[in-house]
Amino acid sequence: MSNVVALDKEAELMESFIQRIEQGKKIEADDWMPEEYRTVLIKLISMHGISEIMGALPEKEWVPKAPSLYRKLGIMAKVQDEMGHGQLLLRVAEDLLKPYEKDRGDLMNDLFKGDLKFHNVFHMATETWGDAGLIGWLVDGAAIITQTDMLGASYGPYARALQRICAEEVFHAQHGEAIIMALAEGTEEQKEMVQDALNRWWPALLMFFGPASKDTTGASKQDATIKYQIRTKTNEQLRQSFFTKYIPRILSLGLTIPDSTIHFDEEQQTWIYQQPDWNEFKKIIKNQGPRSQARLNLRRTSYENNAWVREALSARIN
Amino acid sequence: MSQATLTLSPEYKKALIELLFQLADDDFLFAYRGSEWLGLAPHIEEDVASSSISQDSMGHAAIFYKLLEELGAGNADALAHARPANERKNCILVERVNGPGNYMEDARYDWAYAVVRNYFYTLAKKIKVQSLKQSDYQPLADVAVKVDMEIHYHLLHWKTWFVQLLSSTEDAKKRMIQAIEKVMNDFPDVFSFGDGAQQIHSYGLIEEETVLKERWIAALEQVLETAQITIPETTGVESKNGRNGEHSVELEEALEILGEVYHQDTAAAW
Amino acid sequence: MVNGNSTFYQEFEVFSKRTPSSAFQHQFSLLAPNAEMALVMAQENFMRREPVEDIWVVNRVNIRGLDQEEKQILNRIDNKDYRNTKGYGYLKKKWRHYEQKMFDEQEILSWGKEQGK
Repeated sequence: MSNVVALDKEAELMESFIQRIEQGKKIEADDWMPEEYRTVLIKLISMHGISEIMGALPEKEWVPKAPSLYRKLGIMAKVQDEMGHGQLLLRVAEDLLKPYEKDRGDLMNDLFKGDLKFHNVFHMATETWGDAGLIGWLVDGAAIITQTDMLGASYGPYARALQRICAEEVFHAQHGEAIIMALAEGTEEQKEMVQDALNRWWPALLMFFGPASKDTTGASKQDATIKYQIRTKTNEQLRQSFFTKYIPRILSLGLTIPDSTIHFDEEQQTWIYQQPDWNEFKKIIKNQGPRSQARLNLRRTSYENNAWVREALSARIN
Repeated sequence: MSQATLTLSPEYKKALIELLFQLADDDFLFAYRGSEWLGLAPHIEEDVASSSISQDSMGHAAIFYKLLEELGAGNADALAHARPANERKNCILVERVNGPGNYMEDARYDWAYAVVRNYFYTLAKKIKVQSLKQSDYQPLADVAVKVDMEIHYHLLHWKTWFVQLLSSTEDAKKRMIQAIEKVMNDFPDVFSFGDGAQQIHSYGLIEEETVLKERWIAALEQVLETAQITIPETTGVESKNGRNGEHSVELEEALEILGEVYHQDTAAAW
Repeated sequence: MVNGNSTFYQEFEVFSKRTPSSAFQHQFSLLAPNAEMALVMAQENFMRREPVEDIWVVNRVNIRGLDQEEKQILNRIDNKDYRNTKGYGYLKKKWRHYEQKMFDEQEILSWGKEQGK
């Protein structure tokens, strides 16, 4: 008898939950939520958070190497923000993990075991100062598009974290533009540097938004996140938005897109372009991308090497 | 050049420039070593917080290089990036590596060393900056007031780590004591003003080494007493004096990285 | 995992005052092994681009909040015009009849700014 009561109660809670979301009201950390909602959020947000943490690693290479005091300061601030974004997002994920009695240490272990993945774009190599500019300009640009799409997310803590994140992204965008602009207006070598960076990063930028459908790579999580009103647009819609916003700017600086076929089809009202090699994507999501293991090792080595610090301060009696 | 700089005698200017290079190069290298820890700190919130300290310090270096630029010593970015190791005036302590490995690969950096170096350096900087507030060169005195403002946080930050690690586990205490020994081995030139010291002091630019060192020891005394440790006497071994351009290969490697892109085209705008 | 490591990861809520006269507002939460560390982390993690006059860090265990059931104590009937200006709006017309102004919220709160005579 009590099972029927429990099921009824559950159905009631589910109904008011769906109603709340549809009314545009926020779900908070301590609210009842269906298991699926919680797991979808944990997966999305912990990956988002850990991607920011891992994303700091390709960029940090350029912090000491930045060619002026001002640029050193700017890129230091940007990388700091990435770690900060990671902190905000991991906090949100950690609070969702409470019922499972998992904490940040578990998330880090999941990362090192390969269970928690970080965004494909951060598995790519950086080679020149042009890459540092390109990342700030177009990788952050792509991130702005996906993140702004989630500003209205049904889960309150995530929406609020994204508010902070998007505000800081404005500085990132301008920092990236400033680097690229100086190069695009500079010497022949500097101009070549940007074009070269764009050529190498173009496939990664396309893949940033994920496959259009699971037919492409065998997996796609966009449906659940759209269903629960965490995001509004599909992967392909976001990619199209990226083209619309950024292609005119790229071309205006005298750069060429390394895809001679790309164009906007007026009739279909859509950008037609060459697909990247999605096999590369499949390798990356198995942590076999160009820099996947190197970066994981860098992070893991430091984390384990400094375990004594966490042990020491856990032991203190306040 | 400002009215103030026009009336400086060549000897005064020389001494002033000498001191400014020490201050600028110190913070430049200190900030660099701090920035190598990005993404690798033992705690994410700490990664974020200590990055501000690296930025502030790089900012201080930039202010000092700017003062040098105003004195006609050269372009600030060039002063920061182009000068070779034997022209640098930083103390040895800030050029030392964070640990084995490289900041992009296999970094096995020692957090105990980072904490001790950062705390001892910041305390020394605080003492110097307090003295600089009375510097005869007004622009430098004004800068000192600003820099001092930010050091409050830096000092609290590193002191907190220092005290907490020392009063936690036996293992942590052991590592910290080892780190203290290592830092003190490189400490002799921190308060040195090099061969030009006499001139620097005669013009009232900053107080003397022994005075400042004593203040540093006094400031540290209380903290160490609570932790029940003493600072080791610096060994009689002749260590390098960075203020006279004597440096290690670690500085050369650091400068190579710091100037890598700058040197691709020193005339270009970046 | 809830073991010894969990004391390193205590949750602290961070509050700050923007200006000397503003109230404390909630910022975000961070993990720290103790309150001293939390304090040292606070400003640079959440307020590095804004003015900060003061900071509080509060361990979550010291916050008494409401659970789902308890939130019900917050509900009220919307029949309390008797204690709001809404319930006295009819006075405006009356005072006009006596050729007097209505002392509403805007009017009364402006008195604090009047110069002394």
